[in-house]
Amino acid sequence: MSGVEETVSTVRSVKKRAAVAVAAVAAAVFFSGCAQNAPQDTFRPDGENARKINHLQIPVFIAAGVVGVIVFSVIIYVVVKYRDRGQEMPKQTHGNPTLEIGLTILPAVILIAVGIPTISTVFSLAKSSDTQCVINVTGQQWWWEYEYPVQKCGGVDIAEPIVTSGELVMPVKTHVMLRLTSNDVIHSYWIPKLNGKRDAVPGRIHPLRMEADHPGIYQGQCTEFCGLSHARMRMDAVGLNSDDFSTWVATQLKPAEKPTDALALQGEDTFRAQCSRCHQVNGLMEENPDGTNSDKPVIAFPDLYVVAGNAPNLTKLMTRTTFAGATWDLLTDECRKKLHDASPDEFGKLYLQGVTPQCFNEADLREWIRNAPAKKPMFSSEAQKDESGGKYRGMPNLNLTDDQIDQIVAYLLERK
Amino acid sequence: MSEATLTETPTPDDDGVVETADHGTHIEYTDDHGHPETTTGLSNNKLGMWLFLGSECLLFGGLISTYMLYRGRHTGTPGPAQLWDIPLTSVSSFVLLMSSLTMVLAVSAAQQRDDRQTIVWLSVTALLGSTFVGAQVYEFTSFYHEGVGFTTSLFSSSFFTLTGFHGIHVTVGIILLMSLVGIISRSEVPGDKAEVVELIGLYWHFVDIVWIVIFTLVYLIPA
Amino acid sequence: MAIIEQPSAVPALPTGDVPQFVTPASSYGVFRRPVTTTGWRSWIFTVDHKKLGLMYAVSATFFFLVGGIEALLIRTQLLSPDNTVLSASVYNQMFTMHATTMIFLFVMPVTTGLANYFVPLQIGARDVAFPRMNAFGFWCFLFGGIFLNTSWLLGGAADDSWFIYQPNANALFSPTHGVDFWSLGLQITGIASLTSALNLIVTVLNMRAPGMTLMKMPIFTWMVLVVQFLLVFAIPVITVALFLLMFQRVFGAQFFNVDAGADPLLWQHLFWIFGHPEVYILILPSFGIVSEVLPVFSRKPLFGYKFVVFSGAAIGFIGWGVWAHHMFASGLGPVSVAVFSVSTMLIAIPTGVKIVNWTLTMWGGKLWFSTAMLFAIGLIVEFTIGGLSGVTHAVSPSDTQQTDTYYIVAHFHYVLFGGAVFGIFAGFYYWWPKVFGKMLSETLGKWNFWLMVIGMNLTFGPMHILGLQGQPRRMVVYPEKLTGEGFFNLHFWNSVASIGSYILAIGVFMFLVNVWHTTRKGAPSPLDPWDARSLEWLTTNPPKEHNFDTIPHVHALDEYFHLKYEEVDTDAGPRLVKVRTAEELQAEQEANADKHIHMPSPSYWPIVLAIALPIMAYGIIYSIVLTVIGGAILLLAAYGWALEPSTAPESDYDPPEGGSPTKELASV
Repeated sequence: MSGVEETVSTVRSVKKRAAVAVAAVAAAVFFSGCAQNAPQDTFRPDGENARKINHLQIPVFIAAGVVGVIVFSVIIYVVVKYRDRGQEMPKQTHGNPTLEIGLTILPAVILIAVGIPTISTVFSLAKSSDTQCVINVTGQQWWWEYEYPVQKCGGVDIAEPIVTSGELVMPVKTHVMLRLTSNDVIHSYWIPKLNGKRDAVPGRIHPLRMEADHPGIYQGQCTEFCGLSHARMRMDAVGLNSDDFSTWVATQLKPAEKPTDALALQGEDTFRAQCSRCHQVNGLMEENPDGTNSDKPVIAFPDLYVVAGNAPNLTKLMTRTTFAGATWDLLTDECRKKLHDASPDEFGKLYLQGVTPQCFNEADLREWIRNAPAKKPMFSSEAQKDESGGKYRGMPNLNLTDDQIDQIVAYLLERK
Repeated sequence: MSEATLTETPTPDDDGVVETADHGTHIEYTDDHGHPETTTGLSNNKLGMWLFLGSECLLFGGLISTYMLYRGRHTGTPGPAQLWDIPLTSVSSFVLLMSSLTMVLAVSAAQQRDDRQTIVWLSVTALLGSTFVGAQVYEFTSFYHEGVGFTTSLFSSSFFTLTGFHGIHVTVGIILLMSLVGIISRSEVPGDKAEVVELIGLYWHFVDIVWIVIFTLVYLIPA
Repeated sequence: MAIIEQPSAVPALPTGDVPQFVTPASSYGVFRRPVTTTGWRSWIFTVDHKKLGLMYAVSATFFFLVGGIEALLIRTQLLSPDNTVLSASVYNQMFTMHATTMIFLFVMPVTTGLANYFVPLQIGARDVAFPRMNAFGFWCFLFGGIFLNTSWLLGGAADDSWFIYQPNANALFSPTHGVDFWSLGLQITGIASLTSALNLIVTVLNMRAPGMTLMKMPIFTWMVLVVQFLLVFAIPVITVALFLLMFQRVFGAQFFNVDAGADPLLWQHLFWIFGHPEVYILILPSFGIVSEVLPVFSRKPLFGYKFVVFSGAAIGFIGWGVWAHHMFASGLGPVSVAVFSVSTMLIAIPTGVKIVNWTLTMWGGKLWFSTAMLFAIGLIVEFTIGGLSGVTHAVSPSDTQQTDTYYIVAHFHYVLFGGAVFGIFAGFYYWWPKVFGKMLSETLGKWNFWLMVIGMNLTFGPMHILGLQGQPRRMVVYPEKLTGEGFFNLHFWNSVASIGSYILAIGVFMFLVNVWHTTRKGAPSPLDPWDARSLEWLTTNPPKEHNFDTIPHVHALDEYFHLKYEEVDTDAGPRLVKVRTAEELQAEQEANADKHIHMPSPSYWPIVLAIALPIMAYGIIYSIVLTVIGGAILLLAAYGWALEPSTAPESDYDPPEGGSPTKELASV
């Protein structure tokens, strides 16, 4: 080649090498550029089941990465080395069966190596014989309900069924088995740090193992498209150590006390009139004609009003930290941060405080009570009710006055 | 290797194929006089019909699977055990089977270029097919009177969809047969008459075979 | 067009000459059989596979732009957390229609269009086996696609995701007509796919040039053949699912009514038994295109042709046994999950074989980086990424973390955009000169390619991170609280993805600029600009209506290449020497032109039959009267079609004015 051609070709190859270097740096930045402390990071397991998955997936990702790098290197090599530099027409090779067969067997071997631990992990994650606690989980548009049947859950005695929603409270280091179902469409239960997801299908019950290593709050989302507010159907799992869990159970089963606050007393009446058709609150009694409380408990009948036939039980609302499908906080930002950042040792005590008046985030709850469909897209206007066979999907706008909202909030604040 | 010969224009031999000495570099051509032969030996229409019937297998496979899944789900309403009239359905199945026989006779007559016989056997086939459809209509109406309609239960929805699709296929077949009778009698068949009869015959036999499967799985094998 | 008769001593028609228009004699007034070869009527009533292929491709590209705008709106909504550009209801329609449009109204029809145009040319045929059915298929697709999109204006489009899971698809949970439009629209386009499949299989199996055995067919034709078999068996399954859905919604049938005892998973099984072969239907044609382009621009044959053919067939076959990998989180039970996990890993093997073969095709070659070649190499790179992420979700426990997150969105966009779409663009650039007689600008082409590559990787690359760090899909908003901390948190990567999508859009726009520029100012292209290998290049630009003046006898794979090149022994060893140019081969064709060429005639009935279907569909949604009217048109058109000969008899044609009364019709 002449000097000019040599220079041109050198410049070209320098350019090519520079391009490769840039690509490599970009890849490095790219792959290291992950979010820190992403609450739903699938590579940061905090429970045994997620850890099993992680132990399986990390080697697979590494293997895939290695294969990818090899393939790209070969392609870059080929593209650089065999570009048209004016050479002769190349040899018209048709193939090399030995090489081909070898390169067919090689991926097969790698995949067998991946397949065997996969199968064993599948069966390990499906195991149910070592269950220590059962929680029934029901999805509906657009929230999750939990029902703890009578049992010994991780050593803690649950004497009566407990019904909560949004936050799945469970004892740590316990083999919990969730039994998932749905009241309407298919939803999916996913707490990434604790396990993969499982669909909640109406008419079926699907088991899902759940176990947390240490006390804390683990976030999740519904991950099967379920309509208008699929994006606002969230949940948390809360892990508590054995003592704290025992305390929690006791609190849940403790009978409700009569409201002491004047506003809350008015709130009780307002709640009974406006909300108790759908929302069950244990301890709320029917009203006598003279205004006093009878000894007949109010039983909510959401199946008359809601397509899913269910609405969140608010008996112990303020023992939870979120509401409306775990989408909004009952805690102020500051208190929430303190709770989420708490160390495992401090967490239980902080959580069991529930929502204190100092930590209470009133604004979101007020907005919700004022006009729920405006805050979270639902199918619950009067016109939409007609399209859904005369029932709501989600909570309707009750057109409450500010005073009524004040009263209800005061009443709810005492639901602990 | 000899030089390419561009200037010579090869001449065709008897079957229209040009032979040249060096096969590697010349275009050889075949003047097919406008009647190309097919590579498989089957005519396009016949191959197309077989493929179509292949796709229909999957259609009925999906419907049959749905039925088999849901056959037992009819809480509170009558189910197969209460509804089936096996003797009646056996007779109508036999009628449909015989219609396949008459279809074969029609195809044979068409291949012998006997228009009159072809029309006769096609008409008989259509008649037998109509008898089958009539019996099905009678059967469905009686189910309806016993309280089992299309939307009554999972079992009934699946049953009526499966047998309904089959019945529509038979009805379309009857329309094809009668149309063919009309077209043949007015000598307006475009293309190869015997092949058209054979193609419709293939369709008819397929519909019959599907019925045999349905009859066995749905009526004869208890849930 | 009826019969072409060539007097023996007349030289061949000059290239590109438009034949004379001859009026039919039998007068039914305006109802007489169309025979025009120019003007809009020659397109509406055509049965010519090339015109139809072009119309398929143009319509599909239009829908590509529609789907692309839908995607841009989605990405704009997701630019930042808790954004309010689109409401939840509109967003749900947007992602449903984006996917439905891209899959059913872009990739499937555009590959059908390329197949329709080039498969007959590649196998040395003059048209497909059933030309009127071909036309019918096209109009079904177009009317079905338009019908589906009218839902936007008629109460709202389908909004239940592209696979419309039950029970959400029921009238109770999806009260607008969107789902009805979706199910009926897809039934109509499904008919198009099925008829197209029957047509192409019969064409490939029955109408190959003499000497072209199956193992001498071009690889694009092979992949198309496998795809058509997949369609023949997969479309009926989704047909069943769509009928069950329609009966449920319109007539109150019980199939998916959980209260009556239904199992919602029935829908999922039926859908995915179709749905998995569907993804191979989407990708295999592009694999075929790339397997054509790489050898041409490497100046070497495809490495391991037999392996590529068998791996394509193996993918088609094994593809039937992996469907439940879309259901790993659906509650199948560990045995099913384990089995499908293994079968899914199995299918990675033949796919990997192809990557090896393509790379080794380039090895030792003389690589010409035309735009078509760039897209082909781009496919190898991007599909490798997509394929490897696919392997990570073949591992079912991992998949329970990954499914329904943006990691899956990343996977399928890498294989569909980086795979199928890049292959399609490679096909556009490769075959453009043959179809239009002009070459797309290489400069603009490079801008097109690089902007698309950069845009694509910026859009879908970050989605791997988004998914693995917990962002689910199909969500109108993602909350600030779940985006994590640090500069590279999920908000950042969402923004990168959105900006990437705008760059990608500009890249696609560059293609349109290229087309416009080329149409106005492009230089005419030679017959064989790429020095290609297969028979479609043994034609004029564009090919004459009858494709080949005389059907060549095929002796080898890459027959066209072997007609041009010979291996000659020299002192320096065997060398490949070009002994004939494309122009010389074309002249030889014309010199030996056939005397009797029967071409099928245009017809009304395909479009009339096709229009009956959306009329019936509107009727099912709105009023039974429309269905009855549509049904009547259907019957009328069916009879008209059946009674009409595929080639109009000569009595339909007057002799040309001033010409002799002998059969000296130039052509019709």
